[in-house]
Amino acid sequence: MAVYRYDGTFEGFLTCVHAHYYQDPATEILSREPEQIRLLDPVTLLITEEDKARKVYEAIEKKISSFDLKRIYRGFASSEEGKEMDLLRYILLGFRMGRKVSSLHGDPVVRRIELLEGKVSMEIHRFLGLVRFSSLEKGVLYSGIQPDHDILEFLGNHFCQRLPEELFILHDRNRHKAVIGNRGSWILQAIDQDQLRMLGESGGQEREIRDLWRLYFQTIAIRERTNPRCQKNFMPSRYWKNLTEFDRV
Amino acid sequence: MAENLMNKLKILADSAKFDVSCSSSGSSGEGKGKVGSTHMAGICHSWSADGRCISLLKILFTNNCVYDCAYCVNRRSAQTERASFEPEELARLTMEFYRRNYIEGLFISSAVEVSPDHTGERILTCLDLLRNQYGFAGYIHAKLIPGMSPELIHQIGLRADRLSVNIELPTEEGLKRLAPQKQLQNILKPMNQITSTMMEQKTLKAPGHMHPLMDPVAGQTTALDLSGSQRRFAPAGQTTQMIIGATGETDQQIIHTSEKLYHRFVMKRVYYSAYIPVSSSSLLPSTLTAPPLMREHRLYQADWLLRFYGFTAEEILPSEHPDLELEMDPKAAWALRHLERFPIEVNKASLEDLLRIPGVGEVSARRILRQRRVASVKAEDLKQMGVVMKRAKYFLTCQGKYYGGKDLVENTIRGQILMEERLRYRLTGGEDQQQLSLFSGPGNWIPESHETGREGRAWPSIAMTEPSKGS
Repeated sequence: MAVYRYDGTFEGFLTCVHAHYYQDPATEILSREPEQIRLLDPVTLLITEEDKARKVYEAIEKKISSFDLKRIYRGFASSEEGKEMDLLRYILLGFRMGRKVSSLHGDPVVRRIELLEGKVSMEIHRFLGLVRFSSLEKGVLYSGIQPDHDILEFLGNHFCQRLPEELFILHDRNRHKAVIGNRGSWILQAIDQDQLRMLGESGGQEREIRDLWRLYFQTIAIRERTNPRCQKNFMPSRYWKNLTEFDRV
Repeated sequence: MAENLMNKLKILADSAKFDVSCSSSGSSGEGKGKVGSTHMAGICHSWSADGRCISLLKILFTNNCVYDCAYCVNRRSAQTERASFEPEELARLTMEFYRRNYIEGLFISSAVEVSPDHTGERILTCLDLLRNQYGFAGYIHAKLIPGMSPELIHQIGLRADRLSVNIELPTEEGLKRLAPQKQLQNILKPMNQITSTMMEQKTLKAPGHMHPLMDPVAGQTTALDLSGSQRRFAPAGQTTQMIIGATGETDQQIIHTSEKLYHRFVMKRVYYSAYIPVSSSSLLPSTLTAPPLMREHRLYQADWLLRFYGFTAEEILPSEHPDLELEMDPKAAWALRHLERFPIEVNKASLEDLLRIPGVGEVSARRILRQRRVASVKAEDLKQMGVVMKRAKYFLTCQGKYYGGKDLVENTIRGQILMEERLRYRLTGGEDQQQLSLFSGPGNWIPESHETGREGRAWPSIAMTEPSKGS
């Protein structure tokens, strides 16, 4: 029995799965230093090993299915506490049941992963709409977002296809990384304040377009049907700070 | 110029806000352009203060109207500010909004300035600028004006993803009374043209995804694949909308009309819009009347039963029950009238029968079927699968066991369900919250594809021309 700590990467997590099989079964998997010192169950720090990670990766794809590999990867993007053990249980069940595992909708282990993945997928879909670009002086489109889950890389393809002739930066302000789109291709990279400052400010026309959008946003609502609860239900207010329509002028 | 544009935007968005549809679904990867793409399920970009999704720049080209329809804010006799866009102006605004990811595309509708063809040509110019000059490949929904020439409709259709013609009111009699300048035949003709053109290019797909046997276009070969930059005619199909509660029609007339529209024209959606009093006229409900939002909500539920659950209009609203119960959803009401068909054993029932169980939705029905292929379904699994057991327990058995109490007695179950509904509305802050959360949501999350039912019978006095089956 062991409590593992890893570096927070997907490969690191797969290394833990490997250790669960070939070293000690895991009782807990942590991505951070625990808040209290553990005397009874000391934490084993696992260094990510590409070989071990690759073995587990391939085993999931071959012995379970590529559908489940993708599902596990998406579920891993969640920022919920305890996701690692939930995913591990799903993988263990998957190794026993094979590709049938995803049909066992009544099983609590499967249900848990359906919910975990569901929340991530829901947020990815939401952010296809909730991204707002500003056109900066140097012609670059910039958008800062703060999603709950680590979904940035799932947005790259969509915006690249949509803006095939633009340069754009889609910046996760909490995780300090960005998708950089360059006329039809994109990369994911770390980004800091200095790099952002070099892009310049938004120009005069940008302000005009934002005003027009805010005006449209306010005008299109039907007063007789005002329903802030319904609005917040679809678009929780934690997302509002990065949305142009809620900018205070 | 900026101030002028602000003013136009304000007037023409304000005039368009009562249009219901804002869906950007049903189209994917049509034509390549320099900017933009479409997403099969549609994407919502924001939600306005009324809780409705904002997906498209929903706007009128002009609100300067020669017609005088009693229910309309833009009728000629109304005292309201008037404005019209220039084609170039609206095309540029659309591009600027789109590039910043404010919107998924444009929903262009219009009042009739000078004549239907005059307005239509200006809209066509705008769409042509978007598609051909700016290389816009995002979503375009164009509302057609009854009376436009067929050639103009065809040209607009080649540039739009989705087309719609408003049926306006659920009965012909209502239309005659409130919109005397609009001829029913002028509304049906363009609908028919859209359907026939889609049949010819083999892209017609029935709404919802139920009952392939009843699908009017089942067995049709797959769409012609047009390669390169050529666009197809209205690849996301057609929709329509009608106003509810402005004339005295029954729910039965409304739902039968919808069924007929789905059946004859193979529409993707019929939208319902609770009448909001905009003018005092002896023909209309008083301006103090609250919009019938709960009724609208129940009609949407009934519409879902038509498109996704394999119900016919006759089943939902038989002549003994011409109106939907406001207190209970139409599926539960139907089940209570047909207790002889229950309980249904979830481990044996077909998809069609599972979908008839109140509390079992499409997603949970499909999960039950999938699990049954590898393991039997146990009672404790049902909740995990998303079945609403509080509702469903009266209508199903699981591995032979009934969980609904003593036996199936209509009045007892009805009492239980009503109590539950009342409780729910109280907990969620009244009926408005409930129905509005359904008002704009589902259409944009649920991908569209096929279904319909039997012959309807609203519109008794007119013969709708049957679209010719594709050769």
